[in-house]
Amino acid sequence: MGTLEYFQVESTEPAGGELYRRIASTVITDHDILRVLDRLRIFIDPEVPIFIAVGITRTVPRNVIVRDFAGITYDGDKVILSIADETYLAPLLELLWRKFGKERIVQPDRFTIEMHLNTEEREGIEEIVVADPTEGLFRDLIYTMQVICPEGFKVKKQSFQNGKFWFVASENTLQEDVTPLVEEQFSIMGEGS
Amino acid sequence: MILVPITYKGGVYRHDEILDLIEDMGGYIIQKHMIAQEVVLQALIPREDIETLRVLSRPLTGEVIFAPLVGTEIAIVSMSLEIHHLPHASCDVAEYLRTAGAKTNMIGLARGFGKRIGLLSDEERDIINEHDLVIYLFGNFETCIKQKMPTFRRGIHIPIVVTGGPSTDALKKIIDPPVAGYVGGFGRFMHRTKEAPEIAKLDDIVSEVSRVLDGRRSDIAKDPLSISPARLMDVILEQLPDIHDVTSPVPVVVQMDGVRVKLPYDPFAVQLKKVEVEKGVTVGMISDIRPSRMRDYILVKIKPFSDTGLMV
Repeated sequence: MGTLEYFQVESTEPAGGELYRRIASTVITDHDILRVLDRLRIFIDPEVPIFIAVGITRTVPRNVIVRDFAGITYDGDKVILSIADETYLAPLLELLWRKFGKERIVQPDRFTIEMHLNTEEREGIEEIVVADPTEGLFRDLIYTMQVICPEGFKVKKQSFQNGKFWFVASENTLQEDVTPLVEEQFSIMGEGS
Repeated sequence: MILVPITYKGGVYRHDEILDLIEDMGGYIIQKHMIAQEVVLQALIPREDIETLRVLSRPLTGEVIFAPLVGTEIAIVSMSLEIHHLPHASCDVAEYLRTAGAKTNMIGLARGFGKRIGLLSDEERDIINEHDLVIYLFGNFETCIKQKMPTFRRGIHIPIVVTGGPSTDALKKIIDPPVAGYVGGFGRFMHRTKEAPEIAKLDDIVSEVSRVLDGRRSDIAKDPLSISPARLMDVILEQLPDIHDVTSPVPVVVQMDGVRVKLPYDPFAVQLKKVEVEKGVTVGMISDIRPSRMRDYILVKIKPFSDTGLMV
């Protein structure tokens, strides 16, 4: 875990906390989120019971736009997209169908999309946002925290904003506003607001 | 004649000679596995004949190992089927106990997780009770184990061995009234057991289980069973031809005080009851035959000598 700048697992039961540090380190490595995680702090109190994880991510990649993975050529009233990276093809098609209607989008082969668009519609086609990598990142982060936290802790709350995330879970009902709990952990980590 | 549990590992070539030898000695083969070119036998053989078997298996490059758990069926209880509890800890324990000769069954509880919500259903409890011993694989926090243990003990009348993250002493302190065995430092973890200290922990589990089962064996010896379970298995295999149509690798599972017969209860229970062990002594006279909660199997529990006045 050398690449994490800060990594602490604290518990009211020190022995249990130490074992959970091992679990967290295995899960983080297995789920391959080490590259996006910069600082992580976990606090567990089995008596309450509560599990709080707070962390900071590294610089998050920007939105993926059409230009990033497709070449655009114009042939009369036709707009031709040549797809270089198939990863984003499905969400792009979904988006185009929704925007222009299925009948105007033709896919003659696997890596080509042809569209019949008027001049107005052609504006900004290269800049359409196809995917937001942070969505996947958030999902992965939260899934990782779910695997780390004890299984009985089914009541969860989570948030991810501006590279800061937190995840709180318990076996009992959580208090309405968990911000004070989360803030306390952030400030112990040296990231208080 | 005292029978001792052993595992024999050797090549397929001429292994039938070993099978014959064990039979001639008056021993019993509990399980036989053929894995590629290797044969693994789990057997009970007379103590004084181990050396003979060793000598005769030498030219076949066979190996005879003492396997303390042969002839026992053990339940490994995992708190859930989620990634939190399976596969690592549960599978590793189950697999390791098998190498010591035990027949292990893994039971994933429907609602075993969580200190407050953890519970056993009737079906889970009954299935556990059909075994010789149960191992509960708990998590890492003392508080949770302490709070959920009473629910997991309720209605269980076979010996319980508890494993968990806290140290053995800590487990002994928090579990009250005490259970039959404890192995600490082995709670929830998310990797395979590969390192030496972890393997040592698995060895600890085997020795703790053996210790508890030895205690049970000496209890049984005080009022011996009317027939040895291994012999009952042999009788069933010989006299109930339908058992050979069962595709399970172990159609008759030997337990410490009975056998589990993997045939459906309704059509075969009466037939099984009438199987003659010796002239005038049937299986029905010396044992309780009841439906198992595991699938539709038949569970045969042998009555003690004090009950039947018979010893065959």
